[in-house]
Amino acid sequence: MIKIGIVEDDKKLREELSIFLSKNGYEAMILTEFDNMISSILNSNCKLILLDINLPYFDGEYILKEIRKVSDIPIIMMTSRDNEIDELLSMNYGADDYVTKPFNIQILLAKIAAILKRTLKIDTNQNIIDCQDFILNISKSKVQKGNEEIELTKNELKILHFLVQKRGEIVAREDLMKYLWDSESFIDDNTLTVNITRLRNKLEEIHLSNMIETKRGQGYILK
Amino acid sequence: MSFKNYMKDHCYTFLFILVAVTASEIFLLTCKMHWVIRIYFALAIILACIAGFLMDYFKRRKFYNKVLNDLDKLDQKYLIHEMIARPDFFDGVILKEILDEVNKSMVEQVNLYKLQQEEYKEYIELWIHEIKIPIATSKMIIENHKNEVTQSIDEEMDKIENFIEQALYYARSNHVEKDYIIKKCHLQEIVSEVLKKNKNSLIKEKIKIELHDLDIDVYTDFKWCQFILNQIIQNSIKYSQKENKEIEIYANTYKDNVVLYLKDNGIGIKSSEITRVFEKGFTGSNGRNANQKSTGIGLYLCKKLCEKLGMNIKIQSKNENGCIVMIVFPKDSRIELL
Repeated sequence: MIKIGIVEDDKKLREELSIFLSKNGYEAMILTEFDNMISSILNSNCKLILLDINLPYFDGEYILKEIRKVSDIPIIMMTSRDNEIDELLSMNYGADDYVTKPFNIQILLAKIAAILKRTLKIDTNQNIIDCQDFILNISKSKVQKGNEEIELTKNELKILHFLVQKRGEIVAREDLMKYLWDSESFIDDNTLTVNITRLRNKLEEIHLSNMIETKRGQGYILK
Repeated sequence: MSFKNYMKDHCYTFLFILVAVTASEIFLLTCKMHWVIRIYFALAIILACIAGFLMDYFKRRKFYNKVLNDLDKLDQKYLIHEMIARPDFFDGVILKEILDEVNKSMVEQVNLYKLQQEEYKEYIELWIHEIKIPIATSKMIIENHKNEVTQSIDEEMDKIENFIEQALYYARSNHVEKDYIIKKCHLQEIVSEVLKKNKNSLIKEKIKIELHDLDIDVYTDFKWCQFILNQIIQNSIKYSQKENKEIEIYANTYKDNVVLYLKDNGIGIKSSEITRVFEKGFTGSNGRNANQKSTGIGLYLCKKLCEKLGMNIKIQSKNENGCIVMIVFPKDSRIELL
């Protein structure tokens, strides 16, 4: 599991953040030695650091500058200061990315994934996912089963990908829509229904019928 | 400074001189002086007085006319005391000293308020940064414990966040110094961010989003622009119809500007009220009846921020047929050469 370090002085926030990261397949490590944060980060063996700017003893920007002198460890700055100037400063000091509190959690996850993909050459969103009954090829936007394959549209791919990630769980329509909106497909309720129907029909073409089941009043489930 | 007024001011002096001349004439008459001597004597006194008064008059006239003239030309009238050369007559000196003193005291007073306002703005910004931490924590807790109740709290948190953002930009908008950066921004990106930010309420209200022709770059501050669009989208959500809700966002490039259109099919704005929507504290009849009461701050702030960024904002509405908000981004062809 990839270890992510959290440097945040608010106790509750760092704990909730750590729970959230653990739920999403990362190992979260909370670093609290604020008077000795630089060596603490360097010795932590983390693959990525979430660094708050307002910290006791040394502020985040100072820590970032000092770390950049010796290490290239990916760092995402977290701050409640919401203006372009602070963002620019952080980027100039060598931060890999920047999020403002309160953060959009899906976007934070996406940023973490993007940085890890770049730095560790590990693709957390694997390009080819083996789903036992079929293979989902994300980079080609295709579903393969044996010799047969179907092409998916952008939205269909996103829907299927989300359902695959949550396989066996009921996914509420609202959650599915929020996921699509976060990845910039601003679709409405009817379009979602249409997309699901099309996706089902396409899956049926390669003899994958009844894969997506509708749970009335609750959402969808991928069996 | 007219001669008449000057004479009026010195009428008693003239009277006394006249009395003195008459008295000396009577004295000379009783002494049986020759008439030539009497006339010579009277003329000498009167001419000397006239010469003295004329000199005094022209000196004052020159001084006051210059002061009045300078005052007229000055943009900031209170700076007049800096323009006055030290006069060479006594009451002029007093006037200059008074003006200097008054001005010094006023500058002190103004600085006091400036400082207070600055401190207040700093406090507001600090407070806003502080309050964002518990909001961020609450949002994380909600995310880790997803259910119907927390989802509902999440919507309320969104509202709190919006109000806080409004306060932050209000504090910023009243400030003279620049705390924004104008740079190249992609319209699609700004719009997407705003839609993502409002996804909870947009999805809940089942509002259909139609985006097209947004692949255009504009020059603005990303965060400020995002705030402006956010206010407009929130209004569209707040004042939507019951059914078939739709928001259409598109842009158009013209010769000197790029116009972003945000069109909704909500309840619209009454034509009698449309000219006043950008006024501070103005709540139209729709605003007073909506579920969420209008504060009359949102559009006022949009207008103010737009002006600071060199942009323009316009609004059109055909009674009960939704409204179109147009945001005009200036475009200078020279900028593309950079």
